[in-house]
Amino acid sequence: MAGLPAAGSSRSGASLSVAVGGRVGVTSWWRTPTARRFIFGYTLLAPAVLYVALLVGVPFLFSLYLALSDASVGDPVARFVGLDNFKAALENATFYVALRNSLVFTFGAAVMKGLLGTSLAFLLVQPFKGRTVVRALIVIPFTLPIAVSVLGWKWMFDSQFSVINWALSHLGLIGEFGSESWPVWLGQPGLALLSVMFVNVWRSFPFSAIVLLAGMTSVAPEIIEAAKVDGASFMQRFRMIIVPMIAPILFIGAAFDTVFTLSDLSIVYLLTNGGPDGATEILPTLAYNTGIRGGALGRGAAISLFLFPLLLPAIAILLRTLRRRQY
Amino acid sequence: MATVATPWEGERPRTRRQKEARRHVLIYLGLTPFLVIAVFPIFWMLITALKQESDLYRMDVVPFWFHLPPTWKNFDFLFHRTSYGDWIVNTMAIAVWVSAITLVTAVPAGYALARLRLPFAENMGIGIFMTYLVPPIILFLPLSRMVSILDLQDSYWSLVVVYPTFTIPFCTWLLMGFFKTVPFEIEEAAMLDGCGQAGALLRVVLPVSWPGLITSVIFSFTLSMQDFLYSLAFVSISDQKPVPLGVATELIRGDVYFWGSLMAGALLVGVPVAIVYNLFLDKFISGITGAAIK
Amino acid sequence: MSDPHQVQSDHHSVDRRKFLKLTGTGVVGASLLTMLDARQAPAQLKGTSLRLLMWSHFVPAYDVWLDDFAKKWGETNGVKVRIDHMPHLELPARYAAEFAAGAGHDLIYFVGQILTGHYYKNLIDLSDLANGLGKKYGGWMESSKSGAQVGGTWYGVPDFFIAIPMLWRKDLFDSAGLGAPDTWEDFRKAGRILKAKGHPTGMPFSHCNDANHNWRSLMYCYGAKETDPSGQTILIDSKETREALKFAKAMYDEGMTPEVFSWDDASDNRYLASGVACWVHDAISAYRTTQDTNPKVFEHTYVLPEAKGPVARLNMGEPNVWAIWKFAKNVPAAKEFIQAIADHQKEAMEASRGYNMPFLRNQYTRPMPGLGGDPKLAALQEQDKITVFFGNPGPMTPAAQEVLTTFIIPDMFTKVARGVPVEDTVKWATGEIRRIYAKHKAS
Repeated sequence: MAGLPAAGSSRSGASLSVAVGGRVGVTSWWRTPTARRFIFGYTLLAPAVLYVALLVGVPFLFSLYLALSDASVGDPVARFVGLDNFKAALENATFYVALRNSLVFTFGAAVMKGLLGTSLAFLLVQPFKGRTVVRALIVIPFTLPIAVSVLGWKWMFDSQFSVINWALSHLGLIGEFGSESWPVWLGQPGLALLSVMFVNVWRSFPFSAIVLLAGMTSVAPEIIEAAKVDGASFMQRFRMIIVPMIAPILFIGAAFDTVFTLSDLSIVYLLTNGGPDGATEILPTLAYNTGIRGGALGRGAAISLFLFPLLLPAIAILLRTLRRRQY
Repeated sequence: MATVATPWEGERPRTRRQKEARRHVLIYLGLTPFLVIAVFPIFWMLITALKQESDLYRMDVVPFWFHLPPTWKNFDFLFHRTSYGDWIVNTMAIAVWVSAITLVTAVPAGYALARLRLPFAENMGIGIFMTYLVPPIILFLPLSRMVSILDLQDSYWSLVVVYPTFTIPFCTWLLMGFFKTVPFEIEEAAMLDGCGQAGALLRVVLPVSWPGLITSVIFSFTLSMQDFLYSLAFVSISDQKPVPLGVATELIRGDVYFWGSLMAGALLVGVPVAIVYNLFLDKFISGITGAAIK
Repeated sequence: MSDPHQVQSDHHSVDRRKFLKLTGTGVVGASLLTMLDARQAPAQLKGTSLRLLMWSHFVPAYDVWLDDFAKKWGETNGVKVRIDHMPHLELPARYAAEFAAGAGHDLIYFVGQILTGHYYKNLIDLSDLANGLGKKYGGWMESSKSGAQVGGTWYGVPDFFIAIPMLWRKDLFDSAGLGAPDTWEDFRKAGRILKAKGHPTGMPFSHCNDANHNWRSLMYCYGAKETDPSGQTILIDSKETREALKFAKAMYDEGMTPEVFSWDDASDNRYLASGVACWVHDAISAYRTTQDTNPKVFEHTYVLPEAKGPVARLNMGEPNVWAIWKFAKNVPAAKEFIQAIADHQKEAMEASRGYNMPFLRNQYTRPMPGLGGDPKLAALQEQDKITVFFGNPGPMTPAAQEVLTTFIIPDMFTKVARGVPVEDTVKWATGEIRRIYAKHKAS
């Protein structure tokens, strides 16, 4: 770490003097190490930047244009309507339901993932017999394609043949099929949202656990030992040593996961499609049903772009993390 | 045996052993709920895949086991009545190509952002990350125009082109963190030996970074299997579909679900990936760690 | 190549009825040899190819038949045909993508979600074809037109609609001393009595297609109207709507269990087939599922075309419409294919086991394939007289379509069933519907 920055700064110093030296001219500036580093660097960066600029940036601008126009699925000639589509969304009672559910869904799931992931990581970090097997089994939910495992859950949440209800009923925790206490996982307002949330948690908590596990194993045992000697309690050690050390990856992981959860359509779409009566309506399903199935592209785009302000906190956290990770 | 041993010699190992046993029991107890949550749905999918149709719709018997002989019918249906074989091949081909594209673009980008102290590097990094925030729902229509211009409509190659839009941002960030952990001295030494910056990257930095590379590949693999909307919009021909799309579009017929085949189709692709995942799990963990500790 | 077909077809046309009687669904294959006769497509189609996008039909045997029909039709006319199937709910996303791309399938298909009004500027004018079919088969059902026409021009050709009748268990009704039901009140009473005996009823209060159909049927039977016949004025805020809502709440409280809030399109099928339900309001695919999986229940399952309400007996059908993109690469073949399938409506209906209800009047001559031979289904042969579509009595406009896909009507019924006051609910729904219509009017 010590070597290059010094060398680098002396090089840029050299390039500066050449540039200031004047007459040598533009051509030779390109030959300076700094310039060569820049050229090399931007060349390396170019493919990734071009790829996302072309395949995300350009379509994104087009979507912005859609959101500001009265475009419908079949009408390419759209009029500019300013912020009308956003206003329309704000006048729509369902929109607020979807917004609230999206927030509850994302943050509720994040908390559950955090709790489950942390406790699991603490268990897995200890040495015990069969650890590899356990670890292997735990990660399976994360490796299954989401669209397909959701269908497995749909079958488990079935109002009539739910295996969960069968088990609960035979344990005497709920009544028989048809009784008042027979839970209808996807049909009761609070429960429905919890159920779709749980599928998201089920899929992602193994991943949270693995990331945390990675962080914990990477903290040098000597540091932990030293802290123990100093009389730090278990929680103190966790809070003061482990968390700060693995914070960057936690933030990145959480930020990516939040984005994924906020914009993921498939779980809700395949389980409830937002029903009943908006109990599980989230912004992506509302945008999809309005913009694509209902054909009002502009309004659909506006609804899904409302996600952006929601994502800003994630970006803010990321920015801070990024700065902390600077040299 | 314990009675034969003298108190001192017998007592201590036994307590240690007991302690160890107690610790194990506690750990296993703690793990049980997690294992049930994570594994039960998989077990349930497996048993559903092997059950006969009429064995599914019974409330009167223990549903966790077979009451009619298990059957391969659902698997047979997949391979003989649908294009499942093609779906697997497509899924794997897509994942391999997406991983390759991701590595070729994200490795240099992550390296440049992490190591070369470029002006605007931070903003560019954030810019790349921001692209991950744009929901597919609003991207798929303009993208379908591009897919059509590239003449890739209804071919799985359209997905090979589109999936890197989410794997590149993710892996660039992952690798960025990883490259920061590679000691500068190694690079310095290589450059003194006459390698250029590119040579140092290729010959020295990459070889020590391979846990990071494997982690990127694993992410590219899993992320490219999470998509549904893009494949739905771009691919309608049966033998070009990837597994998630094929299973969700051809094994549900409005008011009939082919539960058994649905589950069979999910497991046949998910479980092998889980096994591969596990083979590399240690590398994966050190890959994430590498990205974290800096 | 064409000679053997010619010979076959002579035999076929002479003895068509007897032939149809002999060929059940199992021997559909045999009839395929003889059916490609009615019309030889123009020679210039030879060597071209045609791509169709269809839904995955709820009666899987129909897709087998259709794929086979397309293959044979292609062989006869020298056209390479390929059909892609997709679940009906995902079709709109695919069409949006094809439209954005300006490329895709030649011949497309709207199911339930009728996008003619959205895409008509980019669809081929099919008036000659549709008018020709109308003339040939005794005219189109009046209510079908708004799904395929915009401003009097045909941009689509109706294929068939799906009837959504009452399927009820005669044995259970008998055991409770109830006679054959006829009105919604009869069904409500049955739900009340039979729920106590472990046989509740159910209509989905969720975001699924069936919910959209079932509650609309009830509304229409109560005389509630979505709009005026022109589709301009919203009429949902009415006494009739309130009556329907109150009735639905009573029917839920007395005869259903909360699981109806989580149902998808397949749940009522399972409810019937598992022997629990005393009645369901569902397409006859549920009747067929029961036939295949639970013969004992099937034996006692009877069909009523629709329950009678205080004002009318109206069934909301699910329309299916053909359309051709302007950017289609093979318009002539696509048109020929629509013509061919319409000319083979009887075989199609047979293959769908009586599921595909025709839009053309002369196709209601008895016995209708798949229905006429089954005494329990025979009453459906007059389904054209009671069938209306969403937006009723207004047309299937893009605005009505958006009301449909955002599930406002099912949500309205859900709210009331959950105990929200009827007044508040009607006010909410009216507001939402107004907002949607206003947007469409503005653009």
